[in-house]
Amino acid sequence: MNVIIVGFGFIGRKLVRAFYKKIDLIRNVDASFKVIGVSDSKGYLYDSKGLDLERLSYVKRLSEYSGKYREGGSTEEIIEKGEADLMVEATPTNINDGEPGLSFIKAALKKGIHVVTSNKGPLVVAFKELTSLAEKNDCLLLYEGTVAGAVPVFSLVRKCLQGDIIRRIVGILNGTTNYILSRMYFEGTSFELALKEARERGLTERDPSYDVDGIDAACKAVILANALMNRNVKFEDVKRTGIRRVTQEAISLAKKSKFAIKLISTIDKHIEVSPKLVPINHPLCVHGTLNAIHIETDLAREITLIGHGAGEETVSAVLNDVLTVMKETASPI
Amino acid sequence: MKFDLTIALADRPGQLLKALKPIAKNGGNIISIIHERENPSAGFVPVSLVVDFPSKWNMQKTINDLRKIGVTLIKAEEVVDTAHITAILVGKADLERIVQEGLRNAEIIGFEVSAPTSKDACLKLEIEVPTDLLDETLENLRRVAESEDSLVILPI
Ligand SMILES: NC(=O)c1ccc[n+]([C@@H]2O[C@H](COP(=O)([O-])OP(=O)(O)OC[C@H]3O[C@@H](n4cnc5c(N)ncnc54)[C@H](OP(=O)(O)O)[C@@H]3O)[C@@H](O)[C@H]2O)c1
Repeated sequence: MNVIIVGFGFIGRKLVRAFYKKIDLIRNVDASFKVIGVSDSKGYLYDSKGLDLERLSYVKRLSEYSGKYREGGSTEEIIEKGEADLMVEATPTNINDGEPGLSFIKAALKKGIHVVTSNKGPLVVAFKELTSLAEKNDCLLLYEGTVAGAVPVFSLVRKCLQGDIIRRIVGILNGTTNYILSRMYFEGTSFELALKEARERGLTERDPSYDVDGIDAACKAVILANALMNRNVKFEDVKRTGIRRVTQEAISLAKKSKFAIKLISTIDKHIEVSPKLVPINHPLCVHGTLNAIHIETDLAREITLIGHGAGEETVSAVLNDVLTVMKETASPI
Repeated sequence: MKFDLTIALADRPGQLLKALKPIAKNGGNIISIIHERENPSAGFVPVSLVVDFPSKWNMQKTINDLRKIGVTLIKAEEVVDTAHITAILVGKADLERIVQEGLRNAEIIGFEVSAPTSKDACLKLEIEVPTDLLDETLENLRRVAESEDSLVILPI
């Protein structure tokens, strides 16, 4: 399988490292696995014979990998070459129009290239369009890394809850706000101080409103609703309240009644992101930067998943998607 | 439909059995019985029962039958399933309005306020709401709180 990686930032680079470290495991699934192209916003590397993963895992910028770099070359060009079987897309999230990821994913699917993405933007903006396009072109489109990082929620439902109907999902889908609320709960700090700490630890986006006003959590709720509950919802359909007004007093009063306050995404009749009281003995009540997803179904009734919602751990989800594509598209011998 | 019945039985053997017959005959399913034998008063023992009847009519019929055999009914009322809800409001809300408009169907069983004078006043309410009115009540509470520009935090 020929793979191209679009976006060579945090996720793109960590993925290359994982490919390099786990090459034996990967080649066991598909002996012909190779990475033939990698692009960022300034250019790309391309080699039909396969790039050297060891060399690639030590470069910070693509231009440092001498010989194969094409400055000013675009991602569209490497898609158009038509040699790739799978594109891993990890460009920055843009929830307004999904670009540049949306155009890349569409171009790849139209060429019959399977897609694995960790980028929420395109899925929030055009979920139905992309899944239909994938189906029409007989391609897989997998996106485990987009919601709750390493937590394998889509794979779990796809593989292990095939006969269940999902009635309701509630979850802590944003690690930054969970960190802030946990600091307020355990240390008694104010919202402002906890936010400052989160920023210093590099946990917030450049614009913290993305986290604290529930925008990120709302995007993830949209993807969950569309992917797992067969809805057709958009970002605007989410009723959204952030955590800016959650005071230390509110948290103390909640604590006295054995509740913690968490930013919760709820998908049932309505889709909502808002601060909620979570009983401290409820499985969803996890602290720090952890994420948790509680699924209610007709048969299994309740399942809770807990794990790391962002950071390096996300590579686990992306790699698993890549392996899934290899296994599910392997031609029977 | 569940009913909470309290009857007074003469403090003699066999009285309870006599009283249970009309209940069974009219389709009542007894969920619990408390027979307070230790505190008889004026020769009568109070017995509290929770009974599930198929309808109000079966219950009415039972009461009539009990009267006919001389069993005195002290109390008969429908048991309403209620939910106990904690809610927290942040913001300088008009408490009176919240109680009158937002919590019409609920009984407030406890509250606690902190920093009542600041713009971030914080109010914790413990309320009891009939289960079938829960969604409506919470929606009302949310609407009133929002119109007062306060944040309402409800359980998951
Ligand atoms: N980081 C995490 O913990 C995490 C977790 C889950 C999901 N995600 C998602 O995964 C995606 C990638 O995240 P990241 O942290 O790796 O972001 P990042 O570090 O900002 O990297 C983004 C990469 O995309 C490249 N890029 C931008 N525009 C491009 C274009 N037009 N064509 C080709 N490449 C382009 C950038 O190139 P330049 O360097 O040249 O600008 C950069 O290499 C995001 O959508 C993010 O939300 C991230």
